[in-house]
Order: sequence, then structure tokens, then C-alpha cells
Amino acid sequence: MKTIFLIATDSIRALLHQRLLLGLMLASLALTIFFSITMSSARKNITKSFTDDQMATNSFMGTNQMSEVDRRKFRESMENASTTIQAMFYQVASFGGSIVALFIFSTAVASEIRKGTIRLTLSKPVSRTQFLLGKYLGGVVVMAAFALLASLAILLFAQTQNLELSPVIKWAPWLMFCRQLMLGSLAMLLSLFMHPIIASVLAFVAGNGFYSPPNPLYFVLPSYKDFNVFFQVLQGSLLNLKDVACLSLYAADFVAIMLLFALWRFRTKELV
Amino acid sequence: MTAIRTENLSKTYGHGWNRDATPAVRMLNLEVKEGEIFGFLGPNGAGKTTTIHLLLNLIRPTSGAAYLFDRPVAETEVHRRLGYLPESISLHDYYRGKGLLDFYAALCGVSPDVRPARVAELLKLLNLEDAAGKVVSKYSKGMVQRIGFAQAMLHDPDLLILDEPTASLDPVGRKEFRDILLELKRRGKTVFISSHILSEVESVCDRVAILQNGELKRVGTLQELSAGRSTRFMVKSLPAPLMDALATIAVQVTLVQGQATISCPDEALRQTVEQLLRQHGVEIVRTETETQSLEEIFFATITAPPRL
Repeated sequence: MKTIFLIATDSIRALLHQRLLLGLMLASLALTIFFSITMSSARKNITKSFTDDQMATNSFMGTNQMSEVDRRKFRESMENASTTIQAMFYQVASFGGSIVALFIFSTAVASEIRKGTIRLTLSKPVSRTQFLLGKYLGGVVVMAAFALLASLAILLFAQTQNLELSPVIKWAPWLMFCRQLMLGSLAMLLSLFMHPIIASVLAFVAGNGFYSPPNPLYFVLPSYKDFNVFFQVLQGSLLNLKDVACLSLYAADFVAIMLLFALWRFRTKELV
Repeated sequence: MTAIRTENLSKTYGHGWNRDATPAVRMLNLEVKEGEIFGFLGPNGAGKTTTIHLLLNLIRPTSGAAYLFDRPVAETEVHRRLGYLPESISLHDYYRGKGLLDFYAALCGVSPDVRPARVAELLKLLNLEDAAGKVVSKYSKGMVQRIGFAQAMLHDPDLLILDEPTASLDPVGRKEFRDILLELKRRGKTVFISSHILSEVESVCDRVAILQNGELKRVGTLQELSAGRSTRFMVKSLPAPLMDALATIAVQVTLVQGQATISCPDEALRQTVEQLLRQHGVEIVRTETETQSLEEIFFATITAPPRL
């Protein structure tokens, strides 16, 4: 276990020294904030247009009050704008996170083989299983940090913009994290057979198949549709703890299967 | 106990469906005893690095088996007794020198109490004290080679496998490296060196093996390899039937002032010529056996025509 942690720590260190990865993470966070600010300004425009309309109506009618219908309309528009901001925030963060996850996991082992650093590491008393699990764990930690950053960003953003968070959005970072781990495990497995870029594209495409039980592909290829809370946030539907637990179990089961396949492949792979 | 043992070890790249299968190592039987410095020689593409990769379990043999300290190379635990320096070394270059050694020492299971002292000792031994705080990516080739050597010795292994260890070192570095090897030998460590620098191998190795096209051509001590290798027989007269017999075998005959010199480049020919001389009742005036340098042995081995 100690060796796995050592490899994981080294993997995190290596990832933090990769400018491309840092650039990707910063770009996805920046893009998320950009979309949110755009949506937020749209929300302000709605408020302003309502206020202007109301003032025009009031001066025409000679009153100083908003009608019940207008008030409801205004509230609905504001709620719609608020949920759209959150949904967009989640969607962009999730897409950016997926790109980061694909980059991390598809290159974790492949880059060590390409550079030749794996030869030194495996000449030490480190088994191939420990190496692969350490590399995966390192990626998991970085993705957890990314999910945490995204959660903090949305909380901070909601607070500064006086947004009421949708009940579904609180699960979004966790589901996004699960989805990225699934994507990562598949990308890591595929990268042991092919070039990391092809592995990443295939993992992404395979994961966007809309399989559901009893389709057997659901258990061997990831199906992300249930992890995407975009539409639930928009529609205001609820996601209970049981649903989240089931999805988490599915993700854990899928990651375990992919890692088993990856271990089988890695143990027989020629590392030169 | 042997430090390294291979049994009919073979490796073919691209076997199976691949029609361009290339045999890199063929039926290699090798034994390296504990406590010896063993030189592993061969021209480029002879299969030296492939053999080392097989010993490290980085690649799988097509057939045969390899053992380190009589345990299969696939056992991770046996790597606790092993230190390895690859040919073209790639390090985790985002570390500083000291941090890198600390990381490898931790992987080798060196206790955290001992680690700082051991790292400092090796940095001093390899003249890297000033570079200890420098990022490895900024190291020169020679410094990378030195820190690579340091990481191989971190856990004081019983066996060191060094692939072209002095390729990037200057003459001073090579001399220091040679001194370290001799010190390791004095302490009973086993060193397996693959090198192109024959003079270096000659000066430190107890035994050498010469590999060509994946086949083990020769193995032994320098004395064993050079003894009787090139023999010259001086005789007073050469009868015509003997001359004819000598012409059929690849020996060189020189006639100077009525005295003939028959040069036999290897042991097999020496025995044949000696037998012919006896059969024809020719008196041998003098026999000269030439001791060969490792370079001569090496070139004689790799340029010798294949025996049918």
C-alpha cells in the first residue's frame, strides 16, 4: 500500500509539472466562469427589462405597483435564468473536467513508457499492479481537487450573484467526479493498446452511448447520461440519495472492471 | 548461488503473425557468479540491452527462463537486491537531485531514518553535492549519468546491472566510476556491465561474455579467452605433403631464411596443426603463444566466419 501511495504522490507531482494540464484546468475553469458571467449578465438584463417595462406601465397607468401576473412572470424568468446559469456552469465544468481526466489518465502510464522512466521505477521492488494502481490513484486525487474547485467556484458564484442553488446541483460535482473516473479508467485501459490521443477519443465517444440496462453494453462501456444533471437542473426535477448511491455503485463497479482489464493487459505488456 | 542465470533464454520481436520476426536473443545460457564483475560485450544490435530488459522483467522471453539469485525475474521481491542503470537514462526530471534520490530510496524500502544520510553519502561520492538542490531537468548529460548511478546504488544492492554506464562520462568520471566498481567488488557485490568501451571492461571485469546476433559467442576470464588463441609454430622444414595439408586449412605459413612459421588464429586450428606436424614427423623448434587484448579477442570473435 505504501508503494502505491508513493507512486500516486509522484504521479501528482508529475501532473502538477505539466504545463499543458495546468493550462487545460485553468482554461476549463476560466471558461466556466466566463459562461456563468455571461448568463449572469443575461439575468441582470431580464431584471432591467422588467423594471423598465414596469416603470413604463406605471407611468402610463399612473400607479406605482407591479401586478400579480407581472410579479409571477418576473419570478419565473428569474428562476429560469438562475437554473440556466447553474446548468451551464455544470455543463462547462463537466466538459472541461472530462478533457482534463482524459489527458491525465490516458497519458499516466503511456508517457512513462514513452519516456522510459518506467524502466527505472520497475527495476525497484515495485510490482506492475502497484504501479498501475498508484498512477490511477494519483489521477483520482487530481480529479477530486478539480471537482472540489468546481464546487467551490459555483458556491462562491451563487453567493456573490444571490443565486438560489437548485436541489440537484449539489450532487453535480460528485456525479461529475464519478463520470470522470469512469472515463479515466476506460482511457487508461485503451492507452495500453493504442496511442493516448486515440484512446481518449474512443473513451469519450464510447462513454456517450446512451445504453441502459438490460443492454449488456451498459456494464462494459460507460454510459454517462445518468451522470449528466444538466437537464434535471433545467427541468427542476429531483435526484434523491438512492439514485446517487446507485449511480456511484455503477461507477465503482465500472472502474473496478476497467482496472482489472488494464491490470491484465499491463502485466503482459512489453515495457520498452 | 548465482547472481544471474539464464536457461535457453530467447526473445523474438514481432513473433506470431508477424512475418518480419526478428530474433534478438537466441538460446542464451549464462551464469554470473556472486561477487564477480561481469562484462557483457557485443556490437550494436547484438542483443545486450534486450537481455538486460529480460533480466529486469520489462519484456517477456519468447522461450527459456531467467533467474536472479536463483529466483525467477518476475518476482518483484528479488528487485530488493538489484540496482539498475539504463543505457539512455530518463529520470523524473521535475525533482531536484536530492528529492529524486529520496523518492527512489523510498521505493526501494530504505528506512526514512537512514534515507537522508544515504542520499547525502551518494551525492558526495558522485560529486553531486553542489547539484543536490538543482532541478534534474537542468542537469548536464554527465550529471544525469552520475545521479543515475547513485539511484542504482541507493539501497546498497547485491547486484548492479549497468547498461553502458560511462557513455556520457568524461575521463575523470570514468576513472571515478572504475574506482567505485573496484570498491564494490571488494565488498563482494556483483556487477553486470554492458559496455562498448573495451579497455574499461578489460580493466575491471573478472569474466566477459561476447554476444553477436543474439548468440553467446564466447564466455570466460580474459586469460581463458586469450590463452592459446593465437599460436605460432616455428619449424625448420616443411615437407610438400604437409604444405598441401596446411593449404587446405586456414593457417598462415611464412618462410624466412629456411625457417617456417605457421600462425594458428585459434585453439581448434592449433590442435589440428600440432597433430599434422606430429604425423609428418616435423620437429617444432619453438612455439609462441600470443596473449590477446580484449579488443583483439572481441574483433576476432565478431569477425570470425560462422562455423558450419
